[in-house]
Amino acid sequence: MASLKRWALVGLGACFALALAYLPPRGAKPSGRESLFLAQSPRGTPARHRAQAVADEWRAADGSLRLLRARRQLKAWVRDASVGTSLVVVSESAGVWIAAPPVADSATRVAWRQLGLGETKVRVAVIIQLATSFAARDRPLPDEGSAAYLAPDSTDRTTCIAVVSLARYWTRFFADDPRDLVRVPLDVLVQSLKAGLGPCAFYAAYGTPGKSVRGWLVSRGWDLALTLDAGARGRQYNSLIEMVDPSYPLYWEAVYSLPPTAVACLASRPDGCRAAVLAGASDDPAISFPDILPIDRRWGRVPRLVEGQRFLGDVARAVGRDRFLSFWTSALPVDTALAAALKRPVGEWTADWQRDFVRPIRLGPAPPLGGLVIALAIAALAVAVVAITAARRQVR
Amino acid sequence: MRAFLVLLAIAAMPTALSGQRRWEQQVQSRLARAVVAVSTSSRLPVVKRSGMLNTDERASFQTTLVQGVPYAIIAVCDDDCSRLQLTLLSASGSEIAKERDSESLPTLHFTPEATAAYGIRVVMEGCRWNPCWYAVAVVPLGRNPP
Repeated sequence: MASLKRWALVGLGACFALALAYLPPRGAKPSGRESLFLAQSPRGTPARHRAQAVADEWRAADGSLRLLRARRQLKAWVRDASVGTSLVVVSESAGVWIAAPPVADSATRVAWRQLGLGETKVRVAVIIQLATSFAARDRPLPDEGSAAYLAPDSTDRTTCIAVVSLARYWTRFFADDPRDLVRVPLDVLVQSLKAGLGPCAFYAAYGTPGKSVRGWLVSRGWDLALTLDAGARGRQYNSLIEMVDPSYPLYWEAVYSLPPTAVACLASRPDGCRAAVLAGASDDPAISFPDILPIDRRWGRVPRLVEGQRFLGDVARAVGRDRFLSFWTSALPVDTALAAALKRPVGEWTADWQRDFVRPIRLGPAPPLGGLVIALAIAALAVAVVAITAARRQVR
Repeated sequence: MRAFLVLLAIAAMPTALSGQRRWEQQVQSRLARAVVAVSTSSRLPVVKRSGMLNTDERASFQTTLVQGVPYAIIAVCDDDCSRLQLTLLSASGSEIAKERDSESLPTLHFTPEATAAYGIRVVMEGCRWNPCWYAVAVVPLGRNPP
């Protein structure tokens, strides 16, 4: 009986320890100390999530309105654009349109040339949004990590508008007060603006995509074509997965926050890579009008594929302009057109491409070596105990 | 510092004409050469239309053709266009003639039996760098109207 009580107490104690570890605290004041259990991260309340969702909706609606207004206002700027280039750069601060600060204007033109763009069939109007020093109380704060694009459509077939927010970090470089001026890290600004051109850079370089390619990209938020030229591989990291060693839990948290197809692609499975790339492709693509593309450009965001933002840029570089244009304007389904341009199955090419950024992970039931040794030792001990007990057993 | 000054100089360069005129001028000069090539002596005006289309898009317009006057309907497109289809339509929309075999320079010859409004439809069947610019001319040939 005493033995039974002891086991019951041990069981209750174990349950208490498990509850302490896994159940979230409710109504408790924060102690200010780090949590004992690393897996628990702070989360917002439902009310806060709701407020943020409403703010996001407001920003999206406001951004769309600004883009449509911009198209009308930009006509005069576009008429005056320089010969030999199809780039217009203006600036906007607190709703007022002004000429872009010379450094920002020059940096955008350098970015344009570095992308190999000159006179293009689809011109690009870049609106550089400068951060304001005051915050309006009647609306949400601007989201500095986002950008918005208005693709060419039937009302204007040859202009793509990019609204690039330079946020507070960059805005301070263009301050009017000379005492506030800080030396501009021009290379970094050019790189940031190159990335900021986003889908508009693809429109400028390769024109308007065919219906199937356009529908595919629109349905997935252009996540595979956000950077026309991201530079050499391995020089810039865009997600935790590329930076953190797999021995850290952070790495696996980042891996398992990805969609299953992206995880399969990390494991070099061609089927997973193919599914990750071709998600959104359909035989009857729908393209909204006006075609406004709000894009979250925050660091570390991986919607479907690690380094996916440079995928089509890398495809274009790998296959050459002519083959890429055949794919880009093709009337064939996306998988057929892409495989024809790559001259390989899409999944195989993508698995090879993915390996250039992340060392392939192993998936499936593969116990760690330490765990295996301990399990075998426990099993051997159990067998030994049973054997010894059986050997000493006496029948009276 | 020198690089910075160079960048400022680039920014301060004088502005002139807009881009994209290259393709527009290309098709206009092609059309002008094509019109000269069919050598019209008619006093009737040459009707011209131009624009831009993406692959598989189409554009139409109407023009009045005079009874008994032979016409050449010529369409041209820019360097990136590989195939352009030209169709002549009756006022009711039915097809009278279609040219789709001459790739980027389709031409139709037609003499109307009655003075009426006819439709002309252009379909961009192949454009390797969208959009492609096109231009169409309806050229009255030889004889003047009766």
